Amino acid sequence: MASYSFKGGIYLPNPYPVKDSEVRQVAPPKRVILPLKQRFEDEAQPYVKIGEKVLTGQIIAKTISKHSSYLHASISGVISAIKKYPIPHPSGIEVMCIVIDSDGKDEWIEIQRYNQDFQHYSPEKLIQRIREAGIVGMGGAGFPTHAKINNAQGAHTLIINATECEPGIMCDDALMQHYPREIIRGVEVLLHACGAKQAVIAIEDDKQEALHSLLMYNFNDHIDIVQIPTKYTSGAEKILIKTLFDIEISSGKFASDYGVLCQNVGTVKAIYDAIIDNKPLISRIVTITGSAVQEPRNYEARIGTSFASLVAKSYPNPAPHQIRIGGMMMGIDVANMHYAVYKTTNCMFVNNVVPTPAVQSCIRCGQCNQVCPINLLPQQLFWYAKSKNTNRALDYNLGDCIECRCCDVVCPSHIPLTQYFSFAKALHRKRTIEQQKIDTARERFEFKEFRVKRNKKERAEMMARKKAQLKQEMAQDASKKTKIAQAIARVKNKRDSKDENGV
Amino acid sequence: MKMVFDSTSQIMRQVIYALVLGIGASYAHFGWGVIIQIILAVLVAITVEASFLAIRKLPIKPSITDGSAVLTGILLALSIPSIAPWWIVVVGVNFAIIFGKQLYGGLGNNPFNPAMLGYAFLLISYPLPMTTWAGEFVNLTQALDVIFNLNPVDALSGATRLDDVKIQLALGKMVSELNIYSSAQMWINIGFLLGGLYLLARRIILWHIPVAFLLGIAISAFLLFAGDSEHYLPMQNHLMLGATMLGAFFIATDPVTASTTPKGRLIYGFLMGVLVVVIRSFGAYPDGIAFAVLLMNMTVSLIDYYTQPKVFGK
Repeated sequence: MASYSFKGGIYLPNPYPVKDSEVRQVAPPKRVILPLKQRFEDEAQPYVKIGEKVLTGQIIAKTISKHSSYLHASISGVISAIKKYPIPHPSGIEVMCIVIDSDGKDEWIEIQRYNQDFQHYSPEKLIQRIREAGIVGMGGAGFPTHAKINNAQGAHTLIINATECEPGIMCDDALMQHYPREIIRGVEVLLHACGAKQAVIAIEDDKQEALHSLLMYNFNDHIDIVQIPTKYTSGAEKILIKTLFDIEISSGKFASDYGVLCQNVGTVKAIYDAIIDNKPLISRIVTITGSAVQEPRNYEARIGTSFASLVAKSYPNPAPHQIRIGGMMMGIDVANMHYAVYKTTNCMFVNNVVPTPAVQSCIRCGQCNQVCPINLLPQQLFWYAKSKNTNRALDYNLGDCIECRCCDVVCPSHIPLTQYFSFAKALHRKRTIEQQKIDTARERFEFKEFRVKRNKKERAEMMARKKAQLKQEMAQDASKKTKIAQAIARVKNKRDSKDENGV
Repeated sequence: MKMVFDSTSQIMRQVIYALVLGIGASYAHFGWGVIIQIILAVLVAITVEASFLAIRKLPIKPSITDGSAVLTGILLALSIPSIAPWWIVVVGVNFAIIFGKQLYGGLGNNPFNPAMLGYAFLLISYPLPMTTWAGEFVNLTQALDVIFNLNPVDALSGATRLDDVKIQLALGKMVSELNIYSSAQMWINIGFLLGGLYLLARRIILWHIPVAFLLGIAISAFLLFAGDSEHYLPMQNHLMLGATMLGAFFIATDPVTASTTPKGRLIYGFLMGVLVVVIRSFGAYPDGIAFAVLLMNMTVSLIDYYTQPKVFGK
């Protein structure tokens, strides 16, 4: 077997492994909070009113935008509110959410069975059904899956990202152990939908049980399952493609430009549910882990279930907690547990509060640039980010930083480097916008100046021209003058003669 | 890659431990003066650093415990003659810490290697005491006497081998007529070499700078000797005399002031090695490590900018 690896990255042990691979089914909660968008996409439009009764699986928000997805009721009950709730985001941004209060029955909509095999449907039809099932990238990015497949039409290779991305998150591992048949079938659906000839399922080499479960169900010659090292950032899409095929996607380009479609293994399972079982995306597996819970576990919960209820099932200690949604590396610290499981949330860390080590000066030791998977020089970026010299930082390729935090982890001075980099990026964006405004204003002003000057000049020229013309006309018509003089003389003569006669 | 360090202080401590062999060899050759100079330098370094931090109204403890001031003190003490009067080291350490480091904003912000800046300042300002070396092992009482009583004991003093060679060559002698070998200096260099290998093994320093530096010395010395073996020292003497190994592993590798890109480190180290041989062979001073380091420090931001590694996808 070929050995796959990539430059940079770090081997991080899983701090709190889940002891059993069981996926605990969580009963439908009393209330769910469902956001109308995941992150950067367009918001979907509510399709229900407050007070309306909904069934599990019923569409409650629709969209006509390409970069947005449908939303379904994850429990049956009554719509009790449509209002803003915070989503896990460093800025504490709030997003419109639909709240459903359960009627306790979990009554489903009637599910139509498709009598035909998915092979008989056109890719367009499959993509349409994926869209109507409300599927988004479940690895964390939340990009609408139908849009991603559409962008990758004509792809030659499909990659299934089963790497789990970060130590600590174990939901995909559990998913593969529990639904291997569904996943393989889901890959077949995806192959048909995107038109690729071959699929590669990339799995980290520490997940042997999951690997064997998948191998047992894989009888498709077009699907390969390969092991890659359990090294952090292996799950980042571009790094994964480089690891597997040695294709380096240029900065600013996408996998689809290279004929590659990458999908998370959780998304594949959701696609299976949507196409084969005709069920929309209303639940997912999440990991609850961290130093403050007695038993790290995986739960399959309805979308919109509150995290607090899941954490309560994992025996947390009563001490104050440090809570982080997402992985220990790229996750987001949140102030409390008042967040719900969204389509993209794969994990919650509940940690005991530990003092962070004091930050020391950067001595440019270069540990950071040895682990950077993008091969940046974080020590140089830090220097320029700190002094807000964004232009110089961009010369050092600030824009290519994927904010994986490898450099933060190895920094002996405990500098939160990635924070500086995201700050510098935001600062650059702000400055660019300001600069554009300044440029527009300056251009407008300069044009006004130019216009005023031009008008003045044109006017002056026109006047001069007219004057000259008039003069010329006068000169030309010297005869007129004589005629007038003659006329005047005539009149004078007449008057004179009248006077003489009259006297 | 495995993570080795918890903190910057730990890195500094490891560097100080790695110096022990070289210090031992220096002690064996020059005697107690070496130890007294180091103790004096460390005390002064901590005092100056602490007072300056107090003036700048910065927290004192974290900066003192990071060990950088102590390291600067030790490196400077190792560079100056062991029988130099006490004020030499006091002035030098003050200059190194204040002008070399704190005025630039403290650790991490200084463009020049503080210890070498201090050394260069001393060498230019006080050439006589800075070139009067102990000719034999000096015992404790002699050392205290000569350092604190300001009694230059002529019997103790001598020149280093590089010094001697320089003078003799200037007097018109040929290399073949001179004693260009010094077992003591060789042992001191071996001590620092072993300490350097320890740092490499612990991955506290990277191989690029020392290897490129020694290559720079070796290649340029080889070419000069091949061209004129009567006026230039052979390669092995350049490698084993003076502060070559101390420079290669402990001074050139100061991460704050060195180039930081992989390719840049090679260029930085190599050119520094070449400069050392050039200064030793053609300059007015016997050893050229300090000037080579300071000259190369100036080129760092230029080297770094033009040797950025290829970024993923570019």
